Amino acid sequence: MSFYKTDSLTFSYNHRNNLFENLSLLIEENEHIGLIGPNGCGKTTLAKLMLGILSPTGGKIFLEGTDIRNLSLSNIGGKVGYVFQNPDKQLFCPTVWEQMTFSYKYGSQSFQENIEDKINYYLELFDLAKNKNASPMALSRGEKQRLALASVLSRDVKFLILDEPTTGLDLLRKKQLEKCLVTLRDEGKGYMIISHEGDFLDKHIDRLLTLSPKGVEVS
Amino acid sequence: MISLDPRTRIFIVLIISSAAIIFKDLKALMLLLLLTLLLCKLLSISLSGTVRKLRKLWYFFILLTLIQSFFTHGGDTLLALGGLRILTTAGLEAGISIILRMSIIVYSAMIIASSSSMDIVYGLTAMKLPQEIGFMVLLAIKFLPLIREEFFDSITAVQLSGIDLKKIPLGKKLSLYTYILTPSVIKALNRARYISLSMECRGFRTYPARTFYRRLKMKAADYFTILAALASIIAIFSLN
Repeated sequence: MSFYKTDSLTFSYNHRNNLFENLSLLIEENEHIGLIGPNGCGKTTLAKLMLGILSPTGGKIFLEGTDIRNLSLSNIGGKVGYVFQNPDKQLFCPTVWEQMTFSYKYGSQSFQENIEDKINYYLELFDLAKNKNASPMALSRGEKQRLALASVLSRDVKFLILDEPTTGLDLLRKKQLEKCLVTLRDEGKGYMIISHEGDFLDKHIDRLLTLSPKGVEVS
Repeated sequence: MISLDPRTRIFIVLIISSAAIIFKDLKALMLLLLLTLLLCKLLSISLSGTVRKLRKLWYFFILLTLIQSFFTHGGDTLLALGGLRILTTAGLEAGISIILRMSIIVYSAMIIASSSSMDIVYGLTAMKLPQEIGFMVLLAIKFLPLIREEFFDSITAVQLSGIDLKKIPLGKKLSLYTYILTPSVIKALNRARYISLSMECRGFRTYPARTFYRRLKMKAADYFTILAALASIIAIFSLN
């Protein structure tokens, strides 16, 4: 059983022109996928469909064999971590530390000491430890991107979808992200990266999906 | 479909919504609602689409109607439980008048909402309102859906971080909503600040007087609609 399975997936925003049609894909839990395509071809839309944020116009998506329509967003979020293209959308806490601990405070997992260590590790890794008490709103675009990444990585998810994670990152932070991706790979975790940076993808993926209105091409 | 000047739309909405508040008689309110619906039809506003779009608001109106019905006493008893009068004719009348008033206000607001936001600014400025106020109205109109969008984006992000909103206790849920509401408002205010900066960079308020690319001109259809709406409201008022 594949981790993700899309079966004849079709989507349209206006019910007239389909963004893509009959898209069928299989993604394994520990696979490392790159998703590219021209602007507006539906890369982020496909990610949102895979997360249950949007509903397909036609076809089905299965996550670990269960039709995604039968799963709540929190069920999906417990298995798949998502870093939004615009980090502002996922930062809503008054401080960086609260943002990092939010899912432990309100979720079912209790906050334990080793979790604090884990959070500190990711804050250090993404050079955010000095901003612990700062408001996420006051951070620069690059820092927000790093915080969004750190908060998703600190949760124990099986698969990650990163929507243009390199946007706003300088060379050093890009290297740190690369290090994280290697760690994820070593831990046996899978991910899908949506990006326009071919060089960055080449280093970190096993399979490249090229999305176009005609469908998806695998290479 | 008729095309009306934004000033005509604003004027019609003002007189209809004022009449909805002044009129007390049920028959008068029903006739006023009919007049509003007729105007909406003439302006090609989808009546069923409005109900669908504002579904949650209608639930609130229905709840308000029920509360008004049950808590207003007077007249004959229609429903009683033991010695307790649950629904009376006065209560029923009060409930119906509430739902009629709300429907009139919502549908008359659609007369303005169906025109473009820029048209409203043109209309308000042509009515001698300072252009700054006109643009403030425009931004307010644009920002209400934006705040809503920001809020729902944050709710989605919260759920995707593995939190099941249905399972957390009420106290925690309330504190979670306050967490989300504050940044949603801050983000919307920041966006408003960037828009005002970009407007000023493009010369907004550089000169005391402003010229407009489009000039509004009242046509015969505008005068006729205003007169017809005024005459109908006076007729409804005098009938009662």
